[in-house]
Order: sequence, then C-alpha cells, then structure tokens
Amino acid sequence: MPDCSENFESEIDDGKNKRLVKCKYCSSVILTPASATFSSFEYKLPLIKQNKGNVVNPETEDVLQFWVVNDMMTFYNVGFSNTVGSTKYLTCADCETGPIGYYDIPSKISYVALSRESNSYIIFHMIMLCNI
Amino acid sequence: MAKTYDYLFKLLLIGDSGVGKTCVLFRFSEDAFNTTFISTIGIDFKIRTIDLDGKKIKLQIWDTAGQERFRTITTAYYRGAMGIMLVYDITNEKSFENIKNWIRNIEENASADVEKMLLGNKCELEEKRQVSKERGEQLAVEYGIKFIETSAKASIRVEDAFFTLARDIKTKMEKKLEASNPPKGGHKLTPTEPMKKPTSWLSRCTLL
Ligand SMILES: Nc1nc2c(ncn2[C@@H]2O[C@H](COP(=O)(O)OP(=O)(O)O)[C@@H](O)[C@H]2O)c(=O)[nH]1
Ligand SMILES: [Mg+2]
Ligand SMILES: [Zn+2]
Repeated sequence: MPDCSENFESEIDDGKNKRLVKCKYCSSVILTPASATFSSFEYKLPLIKQNKGNVVNPETEDVLQFWVVNDMMTFYNVGFSNTVGSTKYLTCADCETGPIGYYDIPSKISYVALSRESNSYIIFHMIMLCNI
Repeated sequence: MAKTYDYLFKLLLIGDSGVGKTCVLFRFSEDAFNTTFISTIGIDFKIRTIDLDGKKIKLQIWDTAGQERFRTITTAYYRGAMGIMLVYDITNEKSFENIKNWIRNIEENASADVEKMLLGNKCELEEKRQVSKERGEQLAVEYGIKFIETSAKASIRVEDAFFTLARDIKTKMEKKLEASNPPKGGHKLTPTEPMKKPTSWLSRCTLL
C-alpha cells in the first residue's frame, strides 16, 4: 500500500493526538486529546471482518501509524480481547468493533491504529484514491 | 504523565452460568452474526470512564471467562475487586437460590469490604418469570445490598446498575478518606488527597 498520506500530520500536536480519538463507527470516545503519542512502524493487524474459523491465521493488513498508550488506564473507553499469543486486541467499548489496535502484554504498551479511528477517514480516503 | 482520573474501580460480575453476565458487560449480540475477529476470540475486560459528581471514575470491568461453570471462582479473580455485581436470571429459580452460595464464595475469597449489588437480569421476559421482584428486593435487604432488575437484551437499566455500584464505592471510599484524615475545626474539607497509586492490584494481576 503506498503511503501517500501526509494528512495525519495535522492530527499531531507536539507528538501527541491533537483531537479526541473516537470510534469510526459509533463515535465512542477512545482517547482524550494529548493522551497518546504518535509512532510510525509496520504491523500486521487482523482485519475486522474474517471468514469464520480464521482466528489462528487471520487475514491481516499492514498498518503504519499508531497512537501509543503507555498506561492502559489512560484509555477513556476501550475493550481488551482475550489473549492471543502475547497480544490482546483492542476494541471499541460500545459497539465492540475491532481490532482497532493491540496491546503488547510483555511491555504493557497499547497501540491504536490511526486508520481505524474516526479522525482517519480522510487519510483512509486518500489511501483509497492512491490505490486507484 | 498527568493522571486523567480521580478514582479507579475494579468491578466483577458473578453468578450462575447462563444468567447473562457476558451480555450485561458486552454488547448483546445474537449468535447469527458473530463473524468478526473480535467476537470469535471474545473480550476479557473493558475500561470505561464515567463522570460522577464531577469526579472522573475509571471502571475496569471483568467477565468470568466461564470459570463459574465449575463453581470455582479463584481467589485470583477476586483480587483487588472493589465492586461485585451478583447476577441471577429472573426466569431461573435455581440461579436465584444460588446467589446465597455466591455470596459465601465472595466472603471466602474477596476483600471483606467489597461493595456488592444484586441484579435480576432478563427482566423483559415477564411471561417466563419465576422469581418475583419482591423476592429479589427481600434478598437484597437481607444482605444489606442494593437491587435492580435489568435486561441486557432490551438495554434496560444496565448502565444505571454500574453507575449505582460505582457511586456506592466512591461514597465508601470518600468516607474512609475522611475518617483517616479528619477535617480540623469542624469544617468539612473536600478530600483532595490523591488516590494511592492505582496500579497496585493491576500489577499483581496474573492475567496481564
Ligand atoms: N431474553 C434475554 N436473554 C438474555 C439476556 N441477557 C442474556 N441473555 C441470553 O442468555 C444466554 C446466556 O447469556 P450469557 O451472557 O452468555 O450468560 P453468562 O453465562 O452469565 O455469561 C444467552 O443466550 C443470552 O443471549 C436478557 O436480558 N434477556
Ligand atoms: Mg459468560
Ligand atoms: Zn464503536
């Protein structure tokens, strides 16, 4: 996937999230402003919709931008899935859409994918356009 | 980093298998469309922030992950719990009778001052009711706890229940704070005392 979006820059202020981070589907508040730091790396996050029985080998997509949360209690509203390997997946606490990111058990650090929260829909469309 | 909340409460749901604990905590979903990744692996706990009388309260709410089927809720599950929702099913007499056993289990395993509340779930199934509301109320009086009938399916009073339990824990906590820190000169001071570092029970939690 070409990383042609510079748009997320406008979401960052002093390395942190400028605005509320909300669920893309139901607007439930996940993080309050300036409570997470931005980080860019590549991670294969399982797709939200899977074929049944695909938990062991889920279909994934490369996610490149994350909000990093060092203390899970920083979250305003969030759900943690049951453990898979050394990971718990993050969901919306209200509509339970997920994974919206993941929690790394050894380091106790959580990562929310920018592409799976509300502020990202512009970025998302940019990427779609790039793909065309 | 600055703390973004005033209190942190760990809450649990306890009761017989099938009374609706998972549905009370999680979204009620008919099995038919359980095709997403998350619904397949299941949710362990939720963190929710609520505002009570101007205080930010973080609730961390846990499900039992089916342990109750074997009637052996372990001490580890109760560790650090400050509030427990005791849940029965109003259409299932047995689940109501078992509340007594669950309370005994809590007394043996949980901290002595854990705040409890009784929930009669599935209250929208009036035609199948086996346990009257009065009996629920009476049992709650017997144990000196609050009682509410809920329906996870019809979203009736589920949120009220969590707010009520959280408010009772908060009240108890503020009383304790006041007792250990008596105001001088007869004027009531608002407890500005920051809560003890709330990670104590979290870091002890073997699940994480
Ligand atoms: N009619 C009705 N069914 C419910 C309600 N809450 C849960 N259920 C159903 O009761 C069954 C058991 O629910 P579950 O949450 O898995 O119970 P648990 O074993 O206590 O976690 C499921 O089939 C639910 O769909 C409710 O409020 N009303
Ligand atoms: Mg359950
Ligand atoms: Zn949502």
